[in-house]
Amino acid sequence: MDIDLEELAAVIEQLDKTEFTDFLYEKGELRLHVRRGGHIPDGAIQSPASAVAAAAPPVAGEPAPDAVAPKPPAPAPVVVNSPAPNSHSPALRPDALPAGHMLVTAPMLGTYYGAPKPGEPAFVQVGDAVTADAVLCIVEVMKLMNSVTAGAAGEVAAVFVKDGELVEFEQPLFAIRATS
Amino acid sequence: MNHRIFVANRGEIAVRIIEACDRLGYDTVLGVSKADKDTLAAKRANRVVTIGGPRPADSYLNMNAVIQAALSTGCTAVHPGYGFLSERPAFAELCAANGLTFIGPSPEALRALGDKLTARQLAESVDVPVSAGGTAQTAEEVRQLAERIGYPTLIKAAHGGGGRGMKLVESTAELAEAWQLASSEAEASFGDGTVFLERFVQDAKHVEVQILGDRHGHRVHLGERECSVQYRYQKVVEEAPCTALPGPTRALLYQSALRIAEALDYVGLGTVEFLYDVQRDSLAFLEVNPRVQVEHPVTEAITGVDLVREQLLAALGEPLSFTQAEVTLTGNAIECRITAQDPENDLQPSPGTVTRWRPSAAGGLRLDTHIYEGYRFPPFYDALMAKQVAWAPDRAAAIERMEQALAAFEIEGVTTSLPLLRRILAHPVFRDNTVTTHWLNELMMEKVNS
Repeated sequence: MDIDLEELAAVIEQLDKTEFTDFLYEKGELRLHVRRGGHIPDGAIQSPASAVAAAAPPVAGEPAPDAVAPKPPAPAPVVVNSPAPNSHSPALRPDALPAGHMLVTAPMLGTYYGAPKPGEPAFVQVGDAVTADAVLCIVEVMKLMNSVTAGAAGEVAAVFVKDGELVEFEQPLFAIRATS
Repeated sequence: MNHRIFVANRGEIAVRIIEACDRLGYDTVLGVSKADKDTLAAKRANRVVTIGGPRPADSYLNMNAVIQAALSTGCTAVHPGYGFLSERPAFAELCAANGLTFIGPSPEALRALGDKLTARQLAESVDVPVSAGGTAQTAEEVRQLAERIGYPTLIKAAHGGGGRGMKLVESTAELAEAWQLASSEAEASFGDGTVFLERFVQDAKHVEVQILGDRHGHRVHLGERECSVQYRYQKVVEEAPCTALPGPTRALLYQSALRIAEALDYVGLGTVEFLYDVQRDSLAFLEVNPRVQVEHPVTEAITGVDLVREQLLAALGEPLSFTQAEVTLTGNAIECRITAQDPENDLQPSPGTVTRWRPSAAGGLRLDTHIYEGYRFPPFYDALMAKQVAWAPDRAAAIERMEQALAAFEIEGVTTSLPLLRRILAHPVFRDNTVTTHWLNELMMEKVNS
């Protein structure tokens, strides 16, 4: 199946009006993958199925490692290779943040994902510097991915939730130490 | 199988559902809005998740958030209570698509009943009495139809509810314009401009039959309730049974309700509503409410049946545990809706912190509520605070018990409808049960004008 350049341009123009970090469209042999920020690793394009299988999204509940036509993979728990894992920070508690810190809370109830796709590095780690519009995580509600931004520039001081967890409306997700 | 039920509602009905689940040994997960984290239901549920902001559209009406919350917490079924998502076919379908049992009738039944014109046609098709009416296309056809029905006539929106989208027409001169206007309003409010005509019954009682069906073709009725004490289509006092019905009319009422249940292969709890014209001794079908009803406790009081328990079991596939012959009606029950509304000020809502909450603990009473002392009554939802129910062997004794309960009830911090309820209970028209559906509207007007 072909897609001409004009159609492609129209699709991208439409996408530009929306908020997304990762867009995958599949129809027949056509696969269109558009992403904001960073490159698309080859592996992610070639074998999304293995990524899905690596951590089954809780909603779909149907990992199909050798499916011929895999569904657009939902972001799923990240496989952490880093020696400094993206984990709970024992030093900070969301209800008792020191001065100069702010909370980033979940804008809606959903499933928390710290990485854009399974098997990929997390959006942010403790210690990362972020801008106000930097994407920190994804909250999935019924297969709709909602990206959560930092809201203020600073340094990621804590991550309060784990990948794949249910987060409730306004549940604390991150602490950001403001840089002045 | 050990069920875990997601309770997708709030207020006193959430407490009621959790209680029924507790007694069945089912786990409960309650989805709350940000404003409802401190409710009694939130204290009683096994687990509570905050699904969204205070506004209903952000929480209790947010289908995706509710389904996501139910799935993420391992629930097997969703109880929608009344209002909110309880009558939405799309929500019932979304539950099914995600492997959750919707505690209610099938999406097809919800769809058929959500459209009043279709429901009316269904009733007619199984010989259930309806008031003269119908719909037509051209202005001339509408005029002819109105002549046949006779004036005054009521224009109703097929997808309307709670009194919205209705227009009373007194003569041919007003008809064409009112028809156009009603249709445009219906289109704007409900997304469907279908309207129909129905004879306007001046003086009628509201009677309704409780039905219950299982997934194995069994259907029973559990007697009737009378809910004629209404203010602007909102029920204020309900009772069971309706003492004004002659025997043969009551038999026709039950038969009619069961015919509709049968036509829909109805599963779960439902209420078939009728108007009863006392002068003509005639019944007219109104609509079916496909869910648990606010006033279900009066039926429980006279039948001894736990309706919410039966509703849960029926939806989860159990056959009914009793037959029609085993349903017996004993005594009379009355329910008063205690609301955070100011009777001196046209029943304006009056939210606030409940600083004192002391109900009567006398015999023969039941109180369904989510209120406790210190509770901050939020401004975002329905004004219902509690349903005081009184049972006695006869109606006069039930009224007396209710009067004592209302007199003893101490509430401070918010303005409530208690004074109005006391006034209704003491009124001779209520006592001799000649109340019709616009009686309370007139009583409220008198108050304003005097």
